[in-house]
Amino acid sequence: MQRRTSLILLLATLLVVPLAADAQKPIKVGMPMPLSGPAALFGEPASKGAMMFIEEINAKGGVLGRKLELVTRDSKADANEAVRQARELILKDNVDFLVGTLTSAEGPAVSVVAKENKIVFIAPIPKTDQLTAADKLHPYVFRISANTTMEGRSAAEIVAKWPVTKIATMSFDYAYGQDVTRAFVEHLKKIKPSAQIVDQQWPKLGEQDYNPFINAQMAKKPEAIFSSIWGGFFVTYSKQGKALGMFDAVKYNFIGVGEAGSPETTKSMGPDYPVGIWGNSYDAFYWGETAAHKDYTARLSKYLKDEYPSSWAIQGYTGMQFLAEAIKKANSTESDKVAKALLGLTIETPIGPQTIREKDHQANRGQLYGKTVKDPKYPFAIMKPVTYVDPTKFMD
Amino acid sequence: MGGPSSPPIPNSLPDPSFVFAQSVSGLTAAMFLFLIASGLSLIFGVLRVLNFAHGTFYMLGAYCAYQFMVWLQPGPGKFWLAALAAGLVVAALGGLVERLLFRHLYGKEELYQLLFTYALVLILSDAAKMIWGTQQKSVSRPPELTGAFKVFGATIPDYNLLILLLGPAIALAVWYVLQRTRVGRFIRAAALDRETLGALGVNVNALYTWVFVMASFLGGLGGALISPMRATVPGMDTEVIVEAFVVVVIGGLGSFWGTFLGALIYGQVLSFGILFFPRFSIFAVFALMAAVLIVRPWGLLGRPLK
Repeated sequence: MQRRTSLILLLATLLVVPLAADAQKPIKVGMPMPLSGPAALFGEPASKGAMMFIEEINAKGGVLGRKLELVTRDSKADANEAVRQARELILKDNVDFLVGTLTSAEGPAVSVVAKENKIVFIAPIPKTDQLTAADKLHPYVFRISANTTMEGRSAAEIVAKWPVTKIATMSFDYAYGQDVTRAFVEHLKKIKPSAQIVDQQWPKLGEQDYNPFINAQMAKKPEAIFSSIWGGFFVTYSKQGKALGMFDAVKYNFIGVGEAGSPETTKSMGPDYPVGIWGNSYDAFYWGETAAHKDYTARLSKYLKDEYPSSWAIQGYTGMQFLAEAIKKANSTESDKVAKALLGLTIETPIGPQTIREKDHQANRGQLYGKTVKDPKYPFAIMKPVTYVDPTKFMD
Repeated sequence: MGGPSSPPIPNSLPDPSFVFAQSVSGLTAAMFLFLIASGLSLIFGVLRVLNFAHGTFYMLGAYCAYQFMVWLQPGPGKFWLAALAAGLVVAALGGLVERLLFRHLYGKEELYQLLFTYALVLILSDAAKMIWGTQQKSVSRPPELTGAFKVFGATIPDYNLLILLLGPAIALAVWYVLQRTRVGRFIRAAALDRETLGALGVNVNALYTWVFVMASFLGGLGGALISPMRATVPGMDTEVIVEAFVVVVIGGLGSFWGTFLGALIYGQVLSFGILFFPRFSIFAVFALMAAVLIVRPWGLLGRPLK
């Protein structure tokens, strides 16, 4: 036992000593991200987007003359595991910063670790308002994804324009589903007082059989449906809904947030996708609004060896980009200075300028929204016209 | 963080067409669950191993169905061919797993069995991830069954109706094999007394392999048949295994008709649960399981273990 302890101490010393000396060592960034299980669907492309950014910037000489290095760990979409990995990344791998986490359970949990260790933590995907709520906010946490308030309100802005008043909601019964649905309902009632919520269904997270929920909802005769069933779960939900005639019953007055309009989802469903509904997405390879976006998509397509590259890579990419720009601005890799540099920082991302607000450390990240249509150019549905909904005016 | 704005309140008596639709959706869910849970129950009944990896066979069935849909030329009956092929591939894999690995588990402590089958879950699902990636896969309903029809004002998709008929048909087929054939008699005898059966000159090892093959086939076929109604994604195995466990616990571990009954109850409780406790219908199912465990720990139609 004694010998083992001294051996560990010796090893630890060997690991720590070189730190002081070497200025040319890489800047290490730790990324806890779900790489297995259902959430890997998004975690994997997000981590690849981050990797692409790092390879590109290193090819140009890195940041402050130092290379960036990404250390990725599988958080298994589990808050405890994400915390464990984050601690290990800080203590054993000596990472300088954290960029990562996906679910609304992981984000706030890792934020606590970042606070304890005084390390900058950029969350590229978790949406729960809790992450940057006044009582949880600390100097080191930043979010570059949309949050539930922004997403729910964006959807309400769209639904308010539809010729409908009886609206139903379908969301998973947990933080994200509840928060985004509440934001939607509150904002809709405010901007369209005639709107009534006729039914709300709350299947458990990961539900596989939506038939009873859909039947119960259709019995209330809604004219429109708001759903936040996300990712692969949306595939299951909409296949069952289509079979039951749900989309026809509401005349395709249906909006699916939680990236139901992402190219990944429409691609995987092919002819089964309920074409005509509204959806949203973080990115879309066919958007091509600006030269910067076209260029990014072409690079990503090559990097992922995918003709229709993932819409989730952008989150890992811009997360890293914010960090790199902040290090440059601070001219330092000390978290205290980088955290200050991030406040109010505006950068040019592939999807346009993005700013992290000083008051709540939240970026003005809008999402792409659009009505899905069949386009002869692609073997699957796309959102057309696809619009970037800028949330700046309803973030508070 | 408060709850959502206003939970739905059943304001009047539900109308009959809705009650009918709800019971049909409960029945469809029950038939799917039965397909999967029956294999789990069969393996436990005969081999006395709680096969945690059964859900993974179901997932592989769904993935194989997707794969065959990609490979096969379009033509009539393509989906059915793919589903059957998927069931057979999974059955073959099951046979292999039993021959090479499971064999060493019989008669060992439950803890070892559970650990081993859990390891199998991890290995097989990682293998699936390596082959098919993490992207969701989707299989379309067969073209001849994409429609729906209306009964008493309720919409019933054609595909669901087919599952409703297929469930009892498969139950009867398995029951026939178990009750009316020579192999079935051996299987039932093996469940009761393995040694004596061996002493009578029956090749019990081969018999066990066949039971495993049959159970894996049911699991794989279940996965293939469900793929048109769900997304095929990593992790669908662990979701279904919990539901299948609840079904066999309610019905009685190792009891074939118990599993059928358990699945029926599960489907209806879930369907009507959301009428009365909209946000706690899953709780109703687990409460039922707990009640069964307290009153009849061996399940509704099971036999107490000696």
